[in-house]
Amino acid sequence: MTAHSIGVESRPIERAVTPSLWRRLWDANAPGYLFLIPWLIGFFGLTIGPILSSLFLSFTNFDLLTPPDWVGFANYQRIFTADPKFAQSMRVTLLFVAFSVPLKLAFALCIALLLNRGMRGLPVYRAIFYLPSLLGASVAIAVLWRQLFAGDGVVNDFLALFGIEGPSWISNPRTSLWTLIVLAIWQFGSPMIIFLAGLRQIPQDMYEAASLDGASKWRQFWKISLPLLTPVIFFNAVIQTIEGFKSFTPAFIISGGNGSPVNSTLFYTLYLYQEAFAFFRMGYASALAWILLAIVAFFTAFSFLTSRFWVHYEQ
Amino acid sequence: MTFRVDRRQFLMGSTALLAAGAMSPAMAQAERMRLIFWGGQARADRTYGVTDLYAKQFGTVIEGDFAAFGDYWPKLATQIAGGNSPDLIQMDYRYIVEYATRNSIAPIDEFVGKELDLSDFAPDQLEGGKVNGKLYGISLGANSAANLLNVAAFEEAGVELPTSATSYADLPAMAEKFNSGNKRPGMKLWSDNSFHEPGLENFLRQRGKALYTADAQLAFDVEDAVAWFQLWADLRAAGVTVSPEDQALDANDAIESTMITLGKAASTYAHSNQLVGFQAANKDPLTLINYPRVAAGSGGGHYRKPSMFFSIGATSPIKADVAKFINFFIGNAEAGAILGVERGIPCDASTREAIAPGLDAQSQAALSYVSNLGDLLGPLPPPPPSAAGEISNPLLRTKSQEVSFGQLTPEQGGQQFYDEAAAILARAKG
Repeated sequence: MTAHSIGVESRPIERAVTPSLWRRLWDANAPGYLFLIPWLIGFFGLTIGPILSSLFLSFTNFDLLTPPDWVGFANYQRIFTADPKFAQSMRVTLLFVAFSVPLKLAFALCIALLLNRGMRGLPVYRAIFYLPSLLGASVAIAVLWRQLFAGDGVVNDFLALFGIEGPSWISNPRTSLWTLIVLAIWQFGSPMIIFLAGLRQIPQDMYEAASLDGASKWRQFWKISLPLLTPVIFFNAVIQTIEGFKSFTPAFIISGGNGSPVNSTLFYTLYLYQEAFAFFRMGYASALAWILLAIVAFFTAFSFLTSRFWVHYEQ
Repeated sequence: MTFRVDRRQFLMGSTALLAAGAMSPAMAQAERMRLIFWGGQARADRTYGVTDLYAKQFGTVIEGDFAAFGDYWPKLATQIAGGNSPDLIQMDYRYIVEYATRNSIAPIDEFVGKELDLSDFAPDQLEGGKVNGKLYGISLGANSAANLLNVAAFEEAGVELPTSATSYADLPAMAEKFNSGNKRPGMKLWSDNSFHEPGLENFLRQRGKALYTADAQLAFDVEDAVAWFQLWADLRAAGVTVSPEDQALDANDAIESTMITLGKAASTYAHSNQLVGFQAANKDPLTLINYPRVAAGSGGGHYRKPSMFFSIGATSPIKADVAKFINFFIGNAEAGAILGVERGIPCDASTREAIAPGLDAQSQAALSYVSNLGDLLGPLPPPPPSAAGEISNPLLRTKSQEVSFGQLTPEQGGQQFYDEAAAILARAKG
């Protein structure tokens, strides 16, 4: 550790007058890159490296035990032309995203509106409502969900009070996916916090002006809150859609890892996992992973492209 | 800042660290043996009991690692793919051909008669560990498919336990008696075993067929598959089995979620060595009996299967030491007493005789069951093809659920199961 103070010592005049662009950038940013090194190593070694090798593997028949052979587009061709489980898992996943994301956002917005009324003990309620988001993706909650929605579970005990005899929600192919959608909605905490922050940003004088003009609360919500919240809704929708496509743990635990019953909970990620780690078709699974990436990218791009028609930014 | 390291000190320190890092694996390999196996805590306790004993007697430290069956295979495959194969590998009859033909495990023949004494070893179990005439696995125990019965539930309902003569045709009458006398709400006589691959295999063998031929083809016809799904559809309709919804709770073959453990059925299909594990998870006393006969007097469905093997990692530098440990594991009476019949009936005759008197009642029952199968016993089938796992689960499970939930008729279920199983086999051949 030498005593070194930047900018005090005098430099040779030539260098000071015509330093190359790279030199200047380096001088300005070197310390930053130095501090970034641990992250850069992780990013290139643990993220970019595996991503690129999975792209390579998606064109091979790698099975973990023998070296990969190049098979060209055979994996992709099979996925799109001769794989009913791909179609089934796509159907399950799209259904899951289509229902869980809007319902979760609507629910989160409702709770945020309730909490935004300036009640006492708000931090406590906020923490309590946020809790499911922290726990929801965990194995323990998935196990709990199994217990709740089994044939002799708590949900059916409750329904029995009203004389309703419920099915075994979790193991019936008609209802099993819905229990997972309910589980996803229950994890409304993180979009709720963001909605709450968004609501706090809306200037109070707008509401005051509106109520002076005689606008009802309902009208104020539709004409002030909702339009001014659209950037936040947009953000939440994009994030939650991506999360929805990536959802894995609950389905894995609840279906016993195989999308049971009758493939009704065969999420795309679950099918991908099966191919990779149950049947050791790493090449095929890599191709599936890249298709998922493309699908998620498509939906995200679609959201961004349409956003200018419905998202209002102030100023 | 008062603590300073100058450059020379830093260099010296880091060189020493690097040297230590480089040396430690070398030192570790000289005296350590790495073992990997699947199983639960009960198996781990017994296994580590033996490795501790071995370390005490011979000074070789054995590092063990275990996982549940489903998690075990990805773990093992990744370790081998990463050039980090364990020295001693627990191997399954389902996978031994695949690992042997890909040279991931080593032939053991050169150690037989030296480190490895197999003079008292059951010949059929020795044969089961061979691939293309070479010995690749030492069987750790013999077991056989077995139907586990909840003795208390049968007694309370006033129904006599099934016998070795019981056939599928007897079940409706037995269930009628069971359902009228049963004191336990929601309990049925039988699990819905239409998803159960060993159950299907047993059924096919009794019909003179098999699941697979030695050259990885299906060894049954569409009619057999249809008959299987029809059999269970009839049993379902006759009130013998649990509801499809209940059966679907048993989604991952864990002992904890089987119908017998959940108290939804008085019996469940499993393997004889699992009686120990099932009893640990069940309060009621359990016993075991063969799978029902397809017709009165039909036999040959069961076989004595090597429940699991020990194999030697192909890249292990200490193969002879590993063989010596395997010899201790299967042949030492003290080790045998620790292991019991949890991995199946010991294949070494002297070990079997040494441990028999000390076994508890259930281990005795399992031992006597496997030893006295009589006309139920048939020859050991060839090891299943590598894609058999995918046909067993999810294919058979999914088709059985589609039939039981009424989405397919037994005819459609049988036809689709046959076609898709054939397609999976064809795909695996590439």
